[in-house]
Amino acid sequence: MKHRILIVEDDVVIQTQLRNLLAGNGYEAEIINDFPVDMEQVRSFQPHLILLDIKLPGSDGFSVCSQIRAFSNAPIIFVTSCSTDMDELNSIMLGGDAFITKPYNTAILLAKIASLLKRAYPATEQEVLSCNGVVLHLESSTIEYAGRQTDLTKNELKILYYLFKHAGIICTRADLVEYLWDNQLYVDDNALSVNINRIRDKLSAIGVTDFIKTKHRQGYIL
Amino acid sequence: MNSKLYWKQKLPVMLLNCFCMIGLAVFLRVTANSFDSIFLILLIWIVILAVHLVISYHNRKVQMEKLLDLAEQLEERYLLSEVMGKPERADDRVYCQLLRMAGKSMLEQVNEVRRERTEYKEYVEQWVHEIKMPITAMKLLCENNRSQVTKELLTQLEKVNRYTEQALYYARSEHTEKDYSVREIRLFDVVHQSIAENKYLLLQNGVGIDLQETDDTVYSDEKWLCFILNQMIVNSVKYRTERPVLQFYIERQGNQVILCVEDNGIGIDAGDLQRIFEKGFTGQNGRKVLQNSTGIGLYLCRRLCNKLGIGICADSKGSGTTLRLIFHINDFIERV
Repeated sequence: MKHRILIVEDDVVIQTQLRNLLAGNGYEAEIINDFPVDMEQVRSFQPHLILLDIKLPGSDGFSVCSQIRAFSNAPIIFVTSCSTDMDELNSIMLGGDAFITKPYNTAILLAKIASLLKRAYPATEQEVLSCNGVVLHLESSTIEYAGRQTDLTKNELKILYYLFKHAGIICTRADLVEYLWDNQLYVDDNALSVNINRIRDKLSAIGVTDFIKTKHRQGYIL
Repeated sequence: MNSKLYWKQKLPVMLLNCFCMIGLAVFLRVTANSFDSIFLILLIWIVILAVHLVISYHNRKVQMEKLLDLAEQLEERYLLSEVMGKPERADDRVYCQLLRMAGKSMLEQVNEVRRERTEYKEYVEQWVHEIKMPITAMKLLCENNRSQVTKELLTQLEKVNRYTEQALYYARSEHTEKDYSVREIRLFDVVHQSIAENKYLLLQNGVGIDLQETDDTVYSDEKWLCFILNQMIVNSVKYRTERPVLQFYIERQGNQVILCVEDNGIGIDAGDLQRIFEKGFTGQNGRKVLQNSTGIGLYLCRRLCNKLGIGICADSKGSGTTLRLIFHINDFIERV
């Protein structure tokens, strides 16, 4: 199921780019274009999560927040460029769940969205990814092929997760390293090669060979 | 009060008296008075004159010293004219009036400047908030259109963001009390955050990160701490050597938690080490290695640290630099 995210933001470029970013990460995003915010529009969209700017034409984000809180318990993330503690305090008092200052790090924003959604709407089924018969279990950090399992380290799991998510597309080494950094794993280029080799060893131990293919001078592909 | 000058200025009065005495003596002598009576009259005159002069000198001296004392005790001395009360002598009153006029006009000037300054500061803060909108938009545009070019752009954007943040914190560093909230923070959360904020800078320069992660917490302001760490990271990258590595680790000493940021860069000259936190100090490194060293970063760090009650010190042995942030663990806060 795709989570619906509502973007309440008055800057047109940020609106559309944010929507593209969220859409690219598997969310359904909707933009509020008219200010002051029409509550009927919010109600009919039934968002799972709301990204709310504080400075809005007409009414400010705080009043929008309390209006939304009157009928919805969806997590609200305040996104703002004024980072005073007063604003932060206000946002928490009014029922905001997180507070992010612009310019935000997109990785951090996405991580926050994911964790809030996970907390508010616990997934019923275990998260599992599969590709060519190889199954990646995220919760237990293992990989399985034809009934045989092997454990993965944190680095290996994240690398495989990224490759599985982008199956069929070439993933450059730089993108992989960047993704790992976004997940607080500060791996450099050499360590990445070491990790990839280790994954290949583990895969061949459970009977999968040539699963991760190297594209010369470009990166890896599943 | 300068007594020599005082008496010198009383000289005309005394001379006048002398002339009068001589004139009187001559007149009395011509009108056939005896030497004795003339002498007696002159003596009485001299005594009265002397007593008058000494007393008035004494009174004046006491009065002046009182005023000097008052001025000494006043914290805001420009208010003296308001405090000292109305003088009795006519010429003193004029001086007092002049003083008040001068003080008033100065206060007006000061207020004007002060008002302009706050206005300017508010403008800077506002400007920083506004410039963040296009920065955010650009960042999102780059993130959504990944290519080699946008990665370079993101690196530059990180820089732009850092400079605007610096401007904001510089404007704010005067009265931090307005804008900080102390709460329990996990030190390594802040470290992760500032690494994320400098991701492209670190990746492009091939900086290795070595964390010895612990769960130590301190009571401080996350935002400011992150800003301080950012400055440190930027410095480490600026003065790097081949294969740079940045280490973050925590030392515990008694009731102190020390966050250490260690690099293997070119280090700091022993002579410069004492002065790196001074405003505008660039040192040998700033002159030799890079021309664009401003000497603002570490100065701001120390200033913010002072406001937050964090100790900061630098240590360098030939090559490599270790910057330490020293947090005092207060039992009282922990119990609360």
